[in-house]
Amino acid sequence: MRISARLYDWLDRRLNLQPLERSLLDEPIPGGASWTYVFGSATLFLFGLQALTGMCLAVYYVPSPDAAYDSVEYIQHEISFGWFIRGLHHWGASAIMVAIGLHLLQVYLYGAYKRPREPMWMVGVALFLLMMGFGFTGYLLPWDQNAYWATAVGTNMVATVPLAGDFLVRALRGGTTLGALTLSRFFALHVLVLPTLIVSGILLHLVILRRVGPAGPWDEHRAGQTREAFYPRQVFMDAVVMLGAFLVVALLAVAVEFPLADRADPADHTFTPVPEWYFLFFYQLLKYTPGPLEPLASWGLPFLLVLGLFLLPILDRTPERRPAARPLAMGAGVLFLALVFTLLGISLRSLYAQPRMDPSVAHGKALYARHHCAACHRIHGEGGKVGPDLSYVADERPDAQWHLRHFRDPTSVSPGSIMPKFPLSDQDMTDLTNYMLSLKSGGAIASDGKGAA
Amino acid sequence: MPLPNQPQESEEAVEGASPTGPRRRFFAWAIRAIACALGLGFLVPATGYLISPALKRRENAWAEVGTVADLPMGDPQELEYTQTVKDGWRNAAAKKSVWVTKQSDGTITVFSPLCPHLGCGYRWNSGDQQFQCPCHGSVYDVTGKVLGGPAPRPLDALPTKVENGKLWVIYKEFKSGLNRPVEL
Repeated sequence: MRISARLYDWLDRRLNLQPLERSLLDEPIPGGASWTYVFGSATLFLFGLQALTGMCLAVYYVPSPDAAYDSVEYIQHEISFGWFIRGLHHWGASAIMVAIGLHLLQVYLYGAYKRPREPMWMVGVALFLLMMGFGFTGYLLPWDQNAYWATAVGTNMVATVPLAGDFLVRALRGGTTLGALTLSRFFALHVLVLPTLIVSGILLHLVILRRVGPAGPWDEHRAGQTREAFYPRQVFMDAVVMLGAFLVVALLAVAVEFPLADRADPADHTFTPVPEWYFLFFYQLLKYTPGPLEPLASWGLPFLLVLGLFLLPILDRTPERRPAARPLAMGAGVLFLALVFTLLGISLRSLYAQPRMDPSVAHGKALYARHHCAACHRIHGEGGKVGPDLSYVADERPDAQWHLRHFRDPTSVSPGSIMPKFPLSDQDMTDLTNYMLSLKSGGAIASDGKGAA
Repeated sequence: MPLPNQPQESEEAVEGASPTGPRRRFFAWAIRAIACALGLGFLVPATGYLISPALKRRENAWAEVGTVADLPMGDPQELEYTQTVKDGWRNAAAKKSVWVTKQSDGTITVFSPLCPHLGCGYRWNSGDQQFQCPCHGSVYDVTGKVLGGPAPRPLDALPTKVENGKLWVIYKEFKSGLNRPVEL
């Protein structure tokens, strides 16, 4: 006998494992195994991946405003595979939202939330909200501009809740301002509180599944025809989808870099924060809501939506599961999806239409970092004090030619300068000059194109 | 996880579509293969990620510790200096000290401040003209040679250079207890 079989045998004789194994693997699936039943397992798998990559990130991450950004940058650039682990965690979060969305759609389409599965649906909705909580709290942790300003907007929206709003936002931030206390409580929520809650919720979801059994096809006749066990075909299908999900997330982590924005700067109001894509439809909705109606969109609508979702099995109590016989439910579902995807589409289009940082300026900024210019020069409090402060250098030196001559040979325009000549190509000097010209008071980051083109 | 190779024929639940025989064995094999692939796909990068700092060598940089002209001839001095060292994600100011001696021929020797025996800090006794370690009684002369006690090797000399009258050293630490210096 092989070692593993002997070990299993040894344990089985003591713990009586066979009935447990049979009950786990031979769970009957009405109508047989199907590729449409894989989304729950895929979500569970991706959650496990988030837990593992999260534990890895926690090994180096430090939840303090002084250190968070540096520690994430350290993970990204200096730890082997740090960029990969962080990429898996970032894209894994998006993948979970997709998996949950598909899982929810499948259950909705199949009418699987109906009696006797109402409790399983309600726990599922709670799990979805907890997952949103993970997304919201995790977004702040890198403490870059995006994290800071997106969380500032997110917490401000809580303030529009009537009566308790002001208190709620202070409770969420740990005071009036978004700062050290916000970061540490978001960290505690993200890595201690939410995981405990969600693991309990997942167990409950699965225990209920085992008590009521899977719903199977909506066609009663088909459901009764075959009763295939969970193992091996459904396990195989689940495994294939898990592998596919892992490959997609890993490929995204490798191919699409998820860079840190600049360090969080509460004084820099030029930054336009963008929420994660799964909050974008909501972000867009807020743009159409005039001032007095703001609370309606920022908390009223989401509250009603979540309440409706949660109470769905109570509101829709007919036992009918065939989609063709549920025109109201199908119509509402299609309308909701159309609305969400339209808002998402409009939002994405307007995001890409917005002027981003001029690529030349962005490259100049990267050159500034690569040549360690900050060792001598200071920009908005970052960097050394040997050379002049460059925070608003374009105000003093608006002439592109001056900068070009200066980069070629600093002493030619600034006698006695100790700045070394850097081996830069003409294109590099142009880009660096454009970056210098973008540094002006008034704060426009994007170059206006009148630079050293 | 060992999986059953045969379906439980007596179970009513699994009659019908559940595959048997070679097909069932194929699924069992494929499930295990995918589980292994997923495990490796995560474990390999995660292991590299977790042990990464253990594989990094200490970064040695020259640090200025004092002015050569200020050193008395033949009388070892403990010079303290502050150096910025990389401590994980942060740059920390670390206070260090070294024993510096301008020997009678004008050459300068710099010793690591840790006794090569077990790493205690030793001191200079100018009356005895000896370096003495208070922990286990190792004794060295002004050139670092062992005069007595359990010390397995002479004091550990550090690389030095003099530029514009300033003394520069590279701080290093060595394994204790060996009869030759092995850098940590």
